[in-house]
Amino acid sequence: MQELHNKIKSILENGSASLFIAYQKSREGKITPTFITKPEQSQKAYFGDDCKQNLAVYIHKQEVKNFGKVGIFANIYTLKSLLQIYAENQIRDDYLKVVTINPNGAIVEFANFMEIENYVNENKPAPNPEDMERVEKLSNLSREERWDYWLNELSTCIKCYACRAACPMCYCTKCTVDCNQPQWISTPSHSLGNIEWHIMRAMHLAGRCVECNECARVCPMDIPLNLLTVKLNDTANIEFGQQAGLKGELDYALSTFKVDDKENFIR
Amino acid sequence: MNYKTLNTNKLPEFFEKIKKTGKTVLAPRKKGNKTFFATFDSFDQINFDYVQTALSPKSVLFPRVEELFTYKNDDGTYSVKEPELKNEVVVFGMRPCDGVALDYLCDFFLNENPDKLLQDRKNNTTFISLACKSFDNDCFCTSVGSSPAETLGSDLCFTDMGNGSYYVEVVTDKGQKLVDAFPDLFADTKEINKVEQLAQVPVRFELKNLVPKIPTVFETNIWLDQSLACIGCGACAYVCPTCSCFDVQDECNPKAGTRLRCWDSCAFGQFTLHASGHNPREVQSNRWRNRVMHKFNYSVQNMNTISCVGCGRCIRVCPAGMSIIEHLISVEEA
Ligand code: SF4
Ligand code: SF4
Ligand code: SF4
Ligand code: SF4
Repeated sequence: MQELHNKIKSILENGSASLFIAYQKSREGKITPTFITKPEQSQKAYFGDDCKQNLAVYIHKQEVKNFGKVGIFANIYTLKSLLQIYAENQIRDDYLKVVTINPNGAIVEFANFMEIENYVNENKPAPNPEDMERVEKLSNLSREERWDYWLNELSTCIKCYACRAACPMCYCTKCTVDCNQPQWISTPSHSLGNIEWHIMRAMHLAGRCVECNECARVCPMDIPLNLLTVKLNDTANIEFGQQAGLKGELDYALSTFKVDDKENFIR
Repeated sequence: MNYKTLNTNKLPEFFEKIKKTGKTVLAPRKKGNKTFFATFDSFDQINFDYVQTALSPKSVLFPRVEELFTYKNDDGTYSVKEPELKNEVVVFGMRPCDGVALDYLCDFFLNENPDKLLQDRKNNTTFISLACKSFDNDCFCTSVGSSPAETLGSDLCFTDMGNGSYYVEVVTDKGQKLVDAFPDLFADTKEINKVEQLAQVPVRFELKNLVPKIPTVFETNIWLDQSLACIGCGACAYVCPTCSCFDVQDECNPKAGTRLRCWDSCAFGQFTLHASGHNPREVQSNRWRNRVMHKFNYSVQNMNTISCVGCGRCIRVCPAGMSIIEHLISVEEA
């Protein structure tokens, strides 16, 4: 931890960031994000396996951007998110100082996104076995049974949009659900409105989801909605050989057009 | 107030008998690690091991989406239909703080311009609270003027006396009616001191210092410092038993339509977005300030009471670990 504190301290002191985003542990043992602006506050930072929140989400926040250059402590999913966000042209190399702890416990400071790309490819997190099992189980159901399962789960959604707010890949300044002239998606949280919202959400994350599980972690209703994007990722990978969060250059099936596309309907 | 006792092993019978009269009974049930109010088929589906439910019982009176009316256009003949609410409900197992919240919510919806739907729902519902034997770090009822012994807003208040019986405080006429319907289950008793049976929730801040202090820090950086972590979702407002903001949505075509009332939250950027594009609460810190100011200042001005009951739900649910307790303490210390 001392090494991490020193690193944050030096980053803030030498001016490569004016704000450093990390985790802290409260007196009651709760892990929360912390926003360090003064070098002497660096010892607030904490890291452990219990640091789950994907801090990449804060990169999009206006009040964070107002600080100018930002430093961020990133776990492996945050690194994947940052790389994907970079590939999607949402951040500049020179505005972000990214720090992680490698599996040997050493602090790594990245000079640029090329280095992050190399690092995540060398340290790819294994898919969550529990999620794999649940996806597999659902895939083996008949289409009707699967529909019933999701109808049942999604009917409990209260449309708090915590999943959207927590997801680093959900960064649109105006989400489709907020477009009301015309209203694309039915706003009320009745069954139809919920299904429309979740189909839209899943489609917009297909092949872009970094599988950090934030959406499911934050859902007040405990809906396992990450399974939808995990499954869609799988499809994007099989069909187009694409995996999110591993490349600094964008090559995204759902936003490219090719005259020699193998599908006829698109031509 | 009347006082009764009920054998704890008679609780299943109590519920069965209520159900036989055609009423719906909602009780705490577990889903994953969380507990929600839900209907149940058998008594063993009820979860008694919870500090607080994830969602508050406010949705029984103020559902997350509800029909205000439907209309039809039969070739130029228009007809409007308002829903008729007949379903009678008994809610079991809410906490005493939830009662206080329901009292506030009813005040909000029924005082100046009484809301008929909410009034009907209230008339049709009996709320039974179950006094707290345990609490967690996020509970702070005793800092906001109530306690696990509170009965305000409950129709009946049950306390497990640890001797195989519930001590039942009959708070309202509605509660009395429910008890009177099953005279063989309830025995008369006199007032009992229940406090020893209840959780001793520590006081975290001094409300009488805090309330006058809050408006004096309105223009400071404290809100930004507190809310940098806030990601602007609606979770805190939606789980909150006193948050009452709603959005009205019309779903219609030329032939027919429905007007719906849906929950809304001041944490959303769109909440205050004007048609011109101007947003008076432009950034998240403005929105967080509104949430705290509403609970501890605006509602004092408008309704003569704070509107936070210390249930702790917003803290438990927050994806970013925001804690209104810590924030109130930092205002107190500012
Ligand atoms: S977090 Fe859960 S309840 Fe909230 S909008 Fe997402 S799926 Fe619905
Ligand atoms: S797992 Fe959920 S929160 Fe994480 S990137 Fe995928 S959709 Fe977003
Ligand atoms: S305080 Fe927490 S729950 Fe409330 S809007 Fe902010 S992030 Fe969401
Ligand atoms: S603001 Fe939080 S603690 Fe207060 S009543 Fe609402 S959910 Fe409960």
